[in-house]
Amino acid sequence: MTTPRPRAVFIGSLSLFVVLFVVLTFELSAGASSSTGKAQKTAKARPAPAETKTDSTPEIEEEAPSEYAEPEEPAAEYVEPEYEEVPPVVTTSS
Amino acid sequence: MIEAIPHTLSTQGWWIVSRSSAVVAFVLVTASVFLGLTMAGKPVRKPGFAKTMRALHEQTALAALVAIGIHVFAVLADPWLKPGVAGVAIPFVLSLNRFWNGIGVIAAYLAFLLGLSFYLRKQIGARLWRQAHRATIAVYVLGLFHALGAGSDTGSLLFLAFAGVTAIPIAVLFVYRLGAARRNSERQRLAARAGRRAGARAPLADTLYDTV
Repeated sequence: MTTPRPRAVFIGSLSLFVVLFVVLTFELSAGASSSTGKAQKTAKARPAPAETKTDSTPEIEEEAPSEYAEPEEPAAEYVEPEYEEVPPVVTTSS
Repeated sequence: MIEAIPHTLSTQGWWIVSRSSAVVAFVLVTASVFLGLTMAGKPVRKPGFAKTMRALHEQTALAALVAIGIHVFAVLADPWLKPGVAGVAIPFVLSLNRFWNGIGVIAAYLAFLLGLSFYLRKQIGARLWRQAHRATIAVYVLGLFHALGAGSDTGSLLFLAFAGVTAIPIAVLFVYRLGAARRNSERQRLAARAGRRAGARAPLADTLYDTV
């Protein structure tokens, strides 16, 4: 077996890099030219810049105005109170 | 589409470089780990096989380090990401995909440390170097998880197919290597014990031989 030349590995790696670079450039350019589809995919891959800051940079958080939501309470039904019939107490007074 | 290329390159060029170099680095790390495990397991005992494997292993490892270096530099230079030196140098500082990028930073440090330690094995000792070199599998595992968790191209079928197809033989070879290492240490232990016994008997044998 012959010892492989280091150049072969480097040329192979460089070729793969160039192919990937060209494919990705075309893919992103196609996404940029068409407003839908891949552009949305790209936006998904790269989230909002605010998320990318490191901890060293202080973040100013803006609270989104919260919408007032009426608490939903179940309508209380009127229930007839149950009571025992107490026989009238007859008191005799002498 | 062609007219959009200059704009794409000016705005997202570093991102494209970082993505491309990351895929190249992952392919090379996978190849290097696969070759290293194949060499260690000694499945083929042909003359020249070990030499060829060693050369390929070294070359793929060095090329992987170059690709990792380009990936780190491209991430650092990305004008959209703006990670800062701390973001790429200190694990878990970059808040975007904090965990997955953090293990990526650790994997890069391990790759450079374990990869370049090959050239310092005389200074650190062959035994210690060999023990440390076994941890190289961690570079592959951490790199794989970093790619799956934070990579932009890990959703592609091609990448998933490559990662899946290569992960299985690497896992099998790793288990085989662990078994081989255990068998080797057992053999060495037995040989050392036999050597001690032979050493103890030797003077007597010599005496007998001399007298006969």
